[in-house]
Amino acid sequence: MTRYLASRFAGMAVVMLLVATLVFFITRLAPGDPAAVMLGEQASAADIAQLRASYGLDKPLPVQFAYWLKELARGNLGQSIFLQRPVTQALWERAEPTLFLTLFSIAIAALIGVPCGIVSAVWRGRAIDQVFSGFAMLGASIPSFWFGLILMQIFAVALGWFPVAGYGDPGVPLADRLHHLVLPAIVLGVVNSALILRFTRASMLDVLGEDHIRTARAKGASEPRVILHHALRNALIPVLTVLGLTFALLVGGAIVTETVFGLPGIGNLVVSAVLRRDYPVIQGALLVIAGLYVLINLAVDLLYLVVDPRVTY
Amino acid sequence: MLRIATGFASLRRALRTGRTGPAVASIVVSAAIALAAGGALAAPPKGGAANIAMIGEPQTLDPMASTADLVGTIMLHVYELLYTFDANWNVAPMLAESLPAISNGGVVYTIPLRKGVKFHNGHEMSSDDVLASLKRWMDTAPRGKAVGKEVKSLEAKGPNAIVITLNRPYAPLLAHLALPNGFAAIMAKDSIATPLTQFVGTGPYMFKERKPDQYVQLVRFDGYSARSEPASGYAGKREALLDELRFIPVPNANTRVEGSLSGQYHFADLLPVESYARLESAANVKPVLTAPFGFPYLVLNTKQGPLTNVALRQAVQAGLNDADMLGAGFGDPKFYSADANHYAKNTPFYSTAGTDQYGKGDAKKAAAMIAAAKYDGTPIKILTSQQYDFHYRIALVMAENLKAAGFKTDMQVVDWSTLIQRRNDPALWDIYITHSAVLPEPTLTPPQLGDGAPGWWSSPAKDAALAAFNAESDAKKRGALWGNIQSVVYAEVPYIRVGNFNSVTARSTKLEGYVAMPWPFFWNTGLQK
Repeated sequence: MTRYLASRFAGMAVVMLLVATLVFFITRLAPGDPAAVMLGEQASAADIAQLRASYGLDKPLPVQFAYWLKELARGNLGQSIFLQRPVTQALWERAEPTLFLTLFSIAIAALIGVPCGIVSAVWRGRAIDQVFSGFAMLGASIPSFWFGLILMQIFAVALGWFPVAGYGDPGVPLADRLHHLVLPAIVLGVVNSALILRFTRASMLDVLGEDHIRTARAKGASEPRVILHHALRNALIPVLTVLGLTFALLVGGAIVTETVFGLPGIGNLVVSAVLRRDYPVIQGALLVIAGLYVLINLAVDLLYLVVDPRVTY
Repeated sequence: MLRIATGFASLRRALRTGRTGPAVASIVVSAAIALAAGGALAAPPKGGAANIAMIGEPQTLDPMASTADLVGTIMLHVYELLYTFDANWNVAPMLAESLPAISNGGVVYTIPLRKGVKFHNGHEMSSDDVLASLKRWMDTAPRGKAVGKEVKSLEAKGPNAIVITLNRPYAPLLAHLALPNGFAAIMAKDSIATPLTQFVGTGPYMFKERKPDQYVQLVRFDGYSARSEPASGYAGKREALLDELRFIPVPNANTRVEGSLSGQYHFADLLPVESYARLESAANVKPVLTAPFGFPYLVLNTKQGPLTNVALRQAVQAGLNDADMLGAGFGDPKFYSADANHYAKNTPFYSTAGTDQYGKGDAKKAAAMIAAAKYDGTPIKILTSQQYDFHYRIALVMAENLKAAGFKTDMQVVDWSTLIQRRNDPALWDIYITHSAVLPEPTLTPPQLGDGAPGWWSSPAKDAALAAFNAESDAKKRGALWGNIQSVVYAEVPYIRVGNFNSVTARSTKLEGYVAMPWPFFWNTGLQK
């Protein structure tokens, strides 16, 4: 186990170095210029060049890269060009909405996807299976921005149950802020539940056909016990993998939903940073997202130990 | 009272468009109805917080550092200028006591300062603060640097006056000092730093907090020293009726529309024209049309490539159908006007000089001009972006017009950040599309009227026309002199001003006293409980 963990952490370090290198050079080689965006339409080329120099953007790329790596080794992700604050602070400020949105979305996706997947598998081919399979196809095909705008028009504009957008007025309590997350969490939850439903159904169908299920039934175990205890536990490993990957994707990938609902999350931060070419924020955010991604993958692998005693490392 | 406010707003708009008859009728009818309904005119209520949905997160909060409208709109509540514009776009004093005394043949401007004006930190404004602010503006701000070239010296004349001495007469000086864009904000001297970390001005609102992608929060400054003249445009008496202003970045335009309709936003800036009908039919929201708001223009590369040939630039101008381009960009004619004259009829700069060259899509004429200019078939590189969808739609029509005339075209669609970088390299483009707000002083925009802006237009005719215009301070004579510049622009085609477009914004019916101006402002504005 210790050797396994050590090798996984060593692998993670290599992955992170590769990500850092790729992110830095891809970001810098893309056209666009933060100084021109900052100064606006009326700025002259000389003004832009002067501002670029003040941020050190006129130095050769290898010099900038070496400086960034040196600061990274000290735990400093740099200073945002536009936000006038350290990248770590900018990311920390976005952690709360992103974390809660991700948790709510995953919970909704799991609460819809897992039970519906089980029902679909148990009553395979019946009307209920067709209905849920249709729902899964629909969920996977609906564009999240469109679904978001529809929910917004019904529940925020027409009924007034939820705010349209944002993350609350200055100084409001946490409960009010979380109220702003309900509609976006439903959008992400429904869209992602389709995949979880499909995986749960497929995995359950595989397990329900195995010998130990027939044995359990022969021994007189009740049908709910057979399904929930003997089948579901064994079917959970691929479902857990999908849940873990979805969680990791949502941390940095809920971009469209965050933009439509005006949420100050990490996805929104990355999009604004890309549009403005705020290099330190793009680099820092992508590095943190990649780090979370590999950590969540590791956590999911370790969860297998809990779910399935046959798994050893 | 609401009807009165609407009536005043329409009068202001009408004064700018020259159509005062219906507006006067409107204000009179509005007043009659309001008086009949309840007697005396009440001021907008005091208190409350307004949620103002803006198009995005400001690039910076330093009002000098960026010429982005978003920055100016927010920070003109915090900082004030020596001068400002009234509802008819006349320069009016703000922190200056009065208009300057101009002497020595138009090169010495003595500006008296108001006494007893407090900064947000409690200090009283003096000539030291004003000099330090103007110096910073002329040293660091894109607009200020251009003005700085004209300034010989800047000095205090006691604590309550300053003297600006110019190298030569430069009539646009006051307009530059009044423009709330990349502006000459007067800051408390001890707060001045680069980058700016404390935002200490004299405005009716104080900076409280910025949470990126959530809000910029401003609160009422109780020590505000208001002018005594009646409010007019940005000029006159300012009163912070609202306790708090929250400028909320909402980049998705549909979300701004839905947020207005739901009542979450009390004001939403720059909405899609397609939303106008929905806003008009809603009971709790009023759409506000600011006309004219801006103008799209095409910059032609005079430094490198086929369009260095002025005859080919003229052929481009002749081949383009400006009205069709505006129609593609803005849809309903309610949202644009195909004006050949660069300034509207009621303004001092109205002129028809050169307007017979305004593009009517004459492909035959353009083809003949192309043949006469011996065009070698080099594709015309059109640089555009989809960040502003009307830019892209205009570019599509432009490319078809050019092809019909016999040009080859190479359309390059990039993101806005890439466009504003690439336009600085003359090898990468022949025409790019952008837009500007309609500004009261012609030399403030587009930047191609200055030196060194992309397009790199330079010619003896330009220099002569601009020198005469900038040296003349008599408003009536300047109008005629602007006609000469407009004529040179049509003849040499460094840029093509396609026409004017109007902006759509939305305000809640609860927001009272709001006056539509290109950079929205919220002093003298109250919120109904």
